Amino acid sequence: MNNKVLAIHNLKVRYLTEDGSVEAVNGIDISVDKRKTLGLVGETGAGKTTTALSILRLIPDPPGEILSGNIELDGIDLMSITEKEMEKIRGDLVSMIFQDPMTALNPVINIGEQISEAISIHQHVTPDEAKKKAKEMLELVGIPGARWAEYPHQFSGGMKQRVIIAIALSCSPKLLIADEPTTALDVTIQAQVLELMKELKEKMDMSMLMITHDLGVVAEVCDDVAIMYAGRIIEQGSLKEIFKSTKHPYTEGLFNSVPNIDDRKSELKPIRGLMSDPYNLPVGCAFCDRCDYALEKCKTEKPEKIYFSETHFAECHLYKENIDFQLNSGKN
Amino acid sequence: MAEILLEVKNLKKYFETPRGKLHAVDDVSFSIEKGKTLGLVGESGCGKSTTGRVILRLLEATDGEIYYKGKNIRDLKNNQMRDLRKEMQIIFQDPFSSLDPRMTVSEIIEEPIKLNKIIKDKEKRFERVLELMDLVGLSRRLMNTYPHELDGGRRQRIGIARALSLDTKFIVCDEPVSALDVSIQAQILNLMKELQEKLDLTYIFITHDLSVVNHFSDEIAVMYLGKIIEKAAAEELFSNPIHPYTKALLSAIPRPTIDKKIDKIILKGEITSPINPEFNCRFANRCNYAEDICKKKEPEFTKRSKDHYAACHIF
Repeated sequence: MNNKVLAIHNLKVRYLTEDGSVEAVNGIDISVDKRKTLGLVGETGAGKTTTALSILRLIPDPPGEILSGNIELDGIDLMSITEKEMEKIRGDLVSMIFQDPMTALNPVINIGEQISEAISIHQHVTPDEAKKKAKEMLELVGIPGARWAEYPHQFSGGMKQRVIIAIALSCSPKLLIADEPTTALDVTIQAQVLELMKELKEKMDMSMLMITHDLGVVAEVCDDVAIMYAGRIIEQGSLKEIFKSTKHPYTEGLFNSVPNIDDRKSELKPIRGLMSDPYNLPVGCAFCDRCDYALEKCKTEKPEKIYFSETHFAECHLYKENIDFQLNSGKN
Repeated sequence: MAEILLEVKNLKKYFETPRGKLHAVDDVSFSIEKGKTLGLVGESGCGKSTTGRVILRLLEATDGEIYYKGKNIRDLKNNQMRDLRKEMQIIFQDPFSSLDPRMTVSEIIEEPIKLNKIIKDKEKRFERVLELMDLVGLSRRLMNTYPHELDGGRRQRIGIARALSLDTKFIVCDEPVSALDVSIQAQILNLMKELQEKLDLTYIFITHDLSVVNHFSDEIAVMYLGKIIEKAAAEELFSNPIHPYTKALLSAIPRPTIDKKIDKIILKGEITSPINPEFNCRFANRCNYAEDICKKKEPEFTKRSKDHYAACHIF
């Protein structure tokens, strides 16, 4: 039985610019199980959003180019279908929530019409039925249906993000891609929106790909976690495996960089240096310049996946000969 | 007793809008000891940035007093204020828009030294620029690059170098790390902490991120709709929050751990309008504990224990 809603295999994406080619995604495999949430974690420029846009086939081409890879969504091979067929899938089988609720809505169309637009494109309904459904969606995300005819500027940031969630969920997608959905919101509003998303995911029987840089958000909503660095998934596992037996030095660095709110004496241990230049990725491990554990061969050889359990792997030379290697923070 | 560097009394800043008076900062008082950090925390629109700007007189206060080293700086004339600005600086949130894109790194850092005629000799001035670059961890080879060539972390280092280029004693840090990635954020926070110790700086640290402020501040003031609703030593505020808003704010932070699950207090609704607010508790309509009195009378900001103040009728 196929239990996967999304399966990506060996995806490679690059952008050709005047200054050269940027290798944004360098051969990644990820999958999202039914009714599960996968967290895709990484910093600016890691390739998270490029991965998401590839799933929707929205990579701007040129300059973007998908070099290789298979993307299978609910059994459909997205790389082999026509653009017309893809249009039917976007917003129906899969939809996406963007980071910035201020710019994702059309300022001159009222929100009710923006919600019913998605419904009437994908479902055979009369305008009245679409309008009724749009009102239901508004109520579902906690906005009174009576505000149907209002415009985006009449809503606050948190409310706008609710409207966007309503649009994304209006056709009951199998997969929801959320790209930093709460980053632009205040903490108390973030808590409201995350709570709403968790609740709706259960109610609508969806899977979710949650793109974020915030390990706190991951701990709250994700079942599985993939850590991305310079276009590679460098560690992946269940929430517990990533949080409790961190393997990759970059993942450890991420945890050490977050101020611990419950222990104010704890020292911040930042990762030194910066992410490598995407125009000019190192031959070996992309993280080796910033890594405190780097070995000689890290500079010259790309690390392979080392498996610690069926679900948990890291791409790191440290474990090649010694699978029991311990990082300093000693979480494993 | 430690020296009080800055004291703010009954500070008010109202903006006239077509719909009425916007109470951005409404009767705010606090003081900071030399060499310490006050964290000013709150969500968008609570008046924290306006407070920072009014203190530096980048915006003129509507009412209230601002004492810096015992002098009310609201009485100072423009040229006196300009002299004082050598000591009082600001670091902005967005390292992308706060630097002139047409100036090189060394020109940006040099500009305040030149304008204030601190060092007149060109070569000595240049030496000072290099010294500042070393101080904030900017490699000297970046001297002739332009801001657009650099990443956010390095740009924020330029902002810090510029703020330190004069005879700086006091810095308003307005969300200095919120635009940065976590690994870079930690680098900048460590740098700012180190500089504080080295140069005996006093900070007001404005942020919406409670985990950052906990790490950084000696004392924390929580703002809501123009008012400080709770103030205490950082450790005390985190272990014994009194105000329901502070409690909700603390519980809402997503924690990067799967060990202990904290029951989240989900607030209803959103921040209300700061235009023509009524004389009641401004948090009452979102508060899970509100009673009749909260909607009728403004709570007083009272002492609850040593150095712990809060404004709430119920707690």
